[in-house]
Formats: sequence, C-alpha cells, structure tokens
Amino acid sequence: MREVHAGYGATPILFGVSLDVRQGEAVALLGKNGMGKTTLMKTAIGFLKPWRGTIEFEGRDLTRLAPHDIARLGVGLVPENRRIFPGLTVRENLELGLSAAPRRSADLRERRLAAVFQHFPRLRERLDQSGKTLSGGEQQMLAIARVMMAGARLILMDEPTQGLAPAFIRHIRDMIRELKRLGVTVLLIEQNARVALSVCDRGYIMEKGVIVFEASSRELRESPVTREKLGV
Amino acid sequence: MSVLGWRALLVFALLAALPLVPGMSRYYLLLAFDALLFGAIAMSLDLLMGYTGLVSFGHAAFYGLGAYATAILMERGVQSVWACVGFAVVVVGLYALVVSYFATARRGIYFALLTLIFAEVVYTFFRYTQTFGGSDGIQGLPDATVLPGLVIDTPTRKYYLVLAYLLIAYAICRVVVASHFGRVLVAIRENEDRARFLGYNVPRYKMGACMISALLTGVGGAIYPMRSAFATPDLMLWTESGEFIISVMIGGLGTLVGPIIGGAFFTILRDKVSSIVDWYFIVIGGVLIVIVLFMPRGLLGLRRIFSRRAAA
Repeated sequence: MREVHAGYGATPILFGVSLDVRQGEAVALLGKNGMGKTTLMKTAIGFLKPWRGTIEFEGRDLTRLAPHDIARLGVGLVPENRRIFPGLTVRENLELGLSAAPRRSADLRERRLAAVFQHFPRLRERLDQSGKTLSGGEQQMLAIARVMMAGARLILMDEPTQGLAPAFIRHIRDMIRELKRLGVTVLLIEQNARVALSVCDRGYIMEKGVIVFEASSRELRESPVTREKLGV
Repeated sequence: MSVLGWRALLVFALLAALPLVPGMSRYYLLLAFDALLFGAIAMSLDLLMGYTGLVSFGHAAFYGLGAYATAILMERGVQSVWACVGFAVVVVGLYALVVSYFATARRGIYFALLTLIFAEVVYTFFRYTQTFGGSDGIQGLPDATVLPGLVIDTPTRKYYLVLAYLLIAYAICRVVVASHFGRVLVAIRENEDRARFLGYNVPRYKMGACMISALLTGVGGAIYPMRSAFATPDLMLWTESGEFIISVMIGGLGTLVGPIIGGAFFTILRDKVSSIVDWYFIVIGGVLIVIVLFMPRGLLGLRRIFSRRAAA
C-alpha cells in the first residue's frame, strides 16, 4: 500500500497511508477507535476507492477492481462484528465461501471442508444449524473458516477478538498462528494490542489517518510509543 | 420429481382433479385459472422479493409484454401455444435484460423506482400508440392450439394449460432456490456487502434473479390471452404490479408456496367482493391491513402458529 488517501464522500479519513505486508507474515495494525483502521480495510478490499495512491497484491494493482474481483485474487476479509449470514446454515455459509476459489468442484469442496473441520471441530457439530444460533465465538470461527474455504492467501481481519470471552480469544490467537503456519499472510486490525502483538511479527500504529510508528512486535511491546498511542 | 416433494405432488394432483368436481361450472374453472395464474406470477416475483430482497414495482410490464406477444402473433394468424410462449420469452427477455441491467446497478428504493419507471414507459407506449390498438388493446383473439387438432377451447383445457404452467414454473423456482445460485441470492438479501467480499459479482446475480423472475412472469402473461382472448395496456398498469406485491405479502415472503396461495386468495377475494359491492377495494384493503398486522409472515405463517400450538 502506497500513499493511500481515502474517505467517505467529501470527508477524508486516510492521509497517505503506506504499509507493507510480506508474504507469510502476520502484521498488526493497531490504533484507537476512529483512527481509520476499518477505513483502510474497506479501501483494501475495494469497498472504497482510494482518492490517491496505489494498493498492490502479488504485483497486481487492486485500486480499480471491484470487491468480488479482489476476493477472487485471493484476498479474504473477516469483517468486524463477525458478519456471517445469520439466516443460512453453517454448511451454507461455508459453501458460499468457496466462490472465490477459481475452480469450484465437489472434490475441492470436500477437501476444504475437511481442512476446516480439522481446525474447527465445533463447526462440524453445528453444520446444519442456522448461523444466528451460534455463539459469538463460533460465529467468529465461522467467519474465519469461510475465508479458509475460499483459499485466501491474504486474510484481512478486523477486530476478531472484539467482545469475545478469553477462551475464544486464545482460540482465535491460535488460529492466526495456524494460518501463518499454513503460509497464509495475515493483516490483523486490533485494539487489543497485547493479543495482536503476541501473534504478529510486526506492527503499525495508526493515528488520525496516518501511520505514526512501525516496528517489530518485540519493539512495539517494549516501546513507550505503544503505551502513549494506544493507552495500554 | 424429487425437487417437488410428495406434498407438492399431492396438491398438484388435487388441483388436476378440480374440473372433475361435480357442479364445477365454467365460471369457477375460469376463476381457478385466474387464481392459479396470479399465484404463479406472485411466486415468480417472490424469487426476487423473498429470496433476493429486491422489490420490483414493474412486474406488470413483464406480464403485459408477454400478453401482447401472444396477442400480436394471434392477430396475425399464429395460434400455436409454443410459438406464442417462445415469442413472449424473446420479447420479455430482451426488455428484462435492459431493465435489470440498469436497475440492479442500484439498491433498495432506487431498484424499485427504476423498475416502476421502465414499466410506466412500456405502459405509456402501448396505451398511446395506435399500432397495437391503443387503450383498447388487441381484442377478439382466436383459441390457441397446443398441437394441430388440440385446441385450447374449453374452460377445462384452459385450466389445464395454466396448471401445467404453474407446475413447470414451480419446479423451476424450486430448483433455483435449492441451487448454489439460490443460496447466493439469500446471501445477497441478508447482506450484499458480505456477498461481495466473498467474491460474488452481486449485480450479475441480481440480474440473473431478475431475468428468471421476469421470464416466468412473461410466460404467465403469454398464457393470459389464451383464456381472455384479449390483451390491453391495463395489464401493464402499476396497480397490477402492486397487486403482485400484495399477493406475495399476503402469502408469505420467501416461501414460493405462500405467494401462490396469496395470489389465489387475492384473486378470489377480489372476484367475490366485487360481485357484491362496487367499492370492493375498501374491503380488500381492510383484509390486507388485518393480514399485515396480525399475520406478518402471511397466510403461510399460520402454519407455524398451528404447528407450534400442536407441539405445545
């Protein structure tokens, strides 16, 4: 991401944000509420067109693509507040995730489902339940499982631990580690810096639409800047 | 046949036996025709309203264009049901392609308004140009033929024609709803943006849903002149679109079966009340208010209430 400017209507939110996520890395984007983190995410997936600047993924320019095209290139989004389809069953939610896979086949579906169940055995138990009957943590699992179904190579996660019980937060953290082990690149947006820095390699701190600090997780954990900017 | 399920087959078998009921008059058979036709069109609209979450105020145009397609061919001596339906599919298909292309680029109320505006343009064209009979439409059409020698000339035959159409349309809707495509439509209804970032080209899916719904409605329209022997611009009036929407609401959104019942109920109610009083719309309005207030899930929602009582 290079010098990205974006906003809603005439209101600018991002003032030239530049950040890099290298393949196989997990990167945290930290910052308080209202600093532009979610706007950045929306711009990356194509819901907002950047006013200026470029966004590239594996050498392809994403700035002019529609969200569904970006998803098909292998960018998955786990949105804020666990946005699953409440009226559909767990199985239907998962199968919808498959759309972004270039060649959809029954075989691929079974393989991906098997992989998902290996990580989330609980979803198998709930397979024919409707999404709205799941607990918050289970919905979050489903949202992550859905992008795994798509075979995304870069996953953008917006506040995945928000409002979850500690046990689920640990589970999500393990899940992100597991994704990394599988070679998936993760950009994690979090207010909970402790959780984010425990799984990510590097982190950026965002304030008022610009990146104000960038360092490795270790440095960020120890830096006074983190405390000052995030209040932790 | 597995798409239909035994209950649906049983209902269709009972409907097929309707003309055998002793004392079944010509009047009631034709009323049954209207009821099933209206039900089938409400069901087609449900694909859009109930499953995709798009409210079309312009379905009367698909319906009316289908009717005109049949009428125009029949006026020129073509009486084959197949030719008329085929021509209706082409005409309605082309029109629906244009409407859905522009309408699906917008969301919510804008979709509804665009469908309405397009429909009004079509209505105005047929109403005010004399090529197709102006406000009188095309009258005095001959009977249609299915095969040489098999003429749709009696109320019973007309009834079976509409029943066949309803069966095919219902089967198509069931297949669509059960398919992956149908799941995506529901996903779009629940949240468009989520469907987009999962990799679905939402406007294309909406367009697909519009096309299927429009074509089914258009074929229904093509069948109408085979019963009534005319096509008039009034078939395209926005009030007709409104009645389709009302039928879907009465029956129950997103159920397919509900709108069929709703359409049939609405048709029969209108017929019965209008034969008693002139101001029948007031009565119908009252009934609708009661349904919306006390049965928000429509007539089909009653089923749940009863099954819950039985369970308790």
